[in-house]
Amino acid sequence: MTNHSRDEILHSIRKGLSHSLHKKREDERLFLVDKARNFKSEAKDITIQNQMIISNLLKQFVKEAEKVNATVFKVKNGGEIRDFIGDFIKDRNMKSFSVWESKYLKNLELKEYLQSKGLKVVKPENKYELARADIGVTEADYVIADTGTLVLLSDGSRPRGVSLLPTTHMAIVHPCNVISNINELFIILKNKFNASRELTSCMSFVTGPSRTADIELNLTLGVHGPKELLILLTEG
Amino acid sequence: MSLEKSVNAVGGRVHWARDGEEASRIIVGIAHSNKVSSIVKSKSMATEEIELNSALEKAGIKVVETDLGEYIVQLAGERPSHILAPAVHKTKGDISKLFSDKLDVPRFSDPQELTKVARDRLRNEFLNAGMGVSGVNFAVAETGTVVIVENEGNARLTTTVPKIHVALMGIEKIIPRYEDLSLFLTLLARSATGQKSSTYVSFISGARRKGDLDGPAEFHLVLLDNGRSKILASQQTIESLYCIRCGACLNNCPVYRKVGGHSYGWVYSGPIGAIINPQLIGIDKASELPFASSLCGACKDVCPVKIDFPKVLLELRQQVVSNKIKKREWDALLERLGVKLWRFTVEHKRAYEIFSKLFYYLQYAWGANQGRLKSLPFPFSRWTEERDFPTIARTPFRKRWKTIRKEIGNP
Repeated sequence: MTNHSRDEILHSIRKGLSHSLHKKREDERLFLVDKARNFKSEAKDITIQNQMIISNLLKQFVKEAEKVNATVFKVKNGGEIRDFIGDFIKDRNMKSFSVWESKYLKNLELKEYLQSKGLKVVKPENKYELARADIGVTEADYVIADTGTLVLLSDGSRPRGVSLLPTTHMAIVHPCNVISNINELFIILKNKFNASRELTSCMSFVTGPSRTADIELNLTLGVHGPKELLILLTEG
Repeated sequence: MSLEKSVNAVGGRVHWARDGEEASRIIVGIAHSNKVSSIVKSKSMATEEIELNSALEKAGIKVVETDLGEYIVQLAGERPSHILAPAVHKTKGDISKLFSDKLDVPRFSDPQELTKVARDRLRNEFLNAGMGVSGVNFAVAETGTVVIVENEGNARLTTTVPKIHVALMGIEKIIPRYEDLSLFLTLLARSATGQKSSTYVSFISGARRKGDLDGPAEFHLVLLDNGRSKILASQQTIESLYCIRCGACLNNCPVYRKVGGHSYGWVYSGPIGAIINPQLIGIDKASELPFASSLCGACKDVCPVKIDFPKVLLELRQQVVSNKIKKREWDALLERLGVKLWRFTVEHKRAYEIFSKLFYYLQYAWGANQGRLKSLPFPFSRWTEERDFPTIARTPFRKRWKTIRKEIGNP
């Protein structure tokens, strides 16, 4: 039955595509593809230049992120980050947390550190507990300066729920991961895809905390996702 | 086909549906074979189009809308009035009353508190649902990735928490290459809500992989035709398929802003509704929509994908007329008769007085209340289906004028 539908739809599409307008469009498309290729090689040059002006990009990222109600903290490396997070959680009187097991966060031994301070660690695979956790700590794979966006790729050590279910989301950002705009990101990711032929099961863009304007167009934060987004910018 | 291959490659399953009924059947089937009794849904116009909720409810499956606006509209038993802000026609007071009636909570008036009520309720629904149904903003053929754009986080929850994720998309949402996304995402966020980027964009490539700690174990993608391939075949109106559902044409349409979304009679409202409703459900069923426009072109000016609305509207008008889909004969007769009667009444003072007196009494028989008449008998019921009729005053203005004139003196 389903296969029959498939054939029928495909047949209908083929018939639809047979008129001359589409041929003209195909020519236009090829022209644009050509143009896009040139653009790509230009974009690579831009990437190199960007590395020279990374601090400007970071400034722009911070400005854009703050515009969409994220809170940005600049922190020093290593033990100081741990202390910062520990103090922050203590100040807020938070009781439970969940954290990614990415390489950096593992090396930081944040989980062990917070546990030693008496906080409850929540396993991300337990959705019921994760939904009640106070804070989830993640690490951005890329950040986009133009829009103030965090890019989070998920895999076995970086579950999606940690940035989504707890009331507060804290993301660590390394300056080397800043890129200027979304075009650049897709060029980088496309190269990744071409190399491995596979993308991770989920990638999320996070731009500020969860928001809605569904009641009389009043802006309200924290409708379904985290109410608060904290960004810790390391020194690199 | 390339999309199907890519989705299969990342562990998803693709289903093809010629029409809404088939799509609903497929989704109900997935739910049944997995013994799902409760479903959470994130915002999707395509599921509205196929009336999925009623199909699921008929099959005995509970379905909960999770977008705040959609949740409100669902609680009220209504339809969305705007493709981005479904409950924009409701006031804070309406929602406060609705929540306290249906959810058994105190009357909150602050949007923050109302939002919190919905958050708490819906958290439980997410955690207990067996399946999540979402729409799709874009699907990338080469990678098998579906992209979902949102601000609230409910689509992320819908596609992360339940064990099964079913995504429904119109076949026009497909784009060929991964890098094309940068252009479309930029256009969508800026045209839809004026944001540089929407809060959350999810790029989902299949189900959870080996080693992943969360995410759905099964991913199904339902491709819906429902008249779209027919639009594809039309040289004149094919651009109707370019739409990315940003809603900019609604916000800028003088007609939409006056009449509101419900007047368009079907799921898609505003200028985009005026051009795709007749093409999707059949031009004879929505023959008045192409005429519901002043052709001012504001929609064309703001459209990020440059749909030439006035051109398409004119083409559809031509189709309506040349198909000789006229109003049915007796309809026209009734209208002529009505106009004649009206003319006679307004030309004769006595008749006017008698009729207005008659109507004044009749309106109470028809249920007039607090200056509003909610339903009139046929054929006037067609008017009251969409809006209320103001009641006729007890003392006509002609009489009141005499006293008013005395009060204000001679100006």
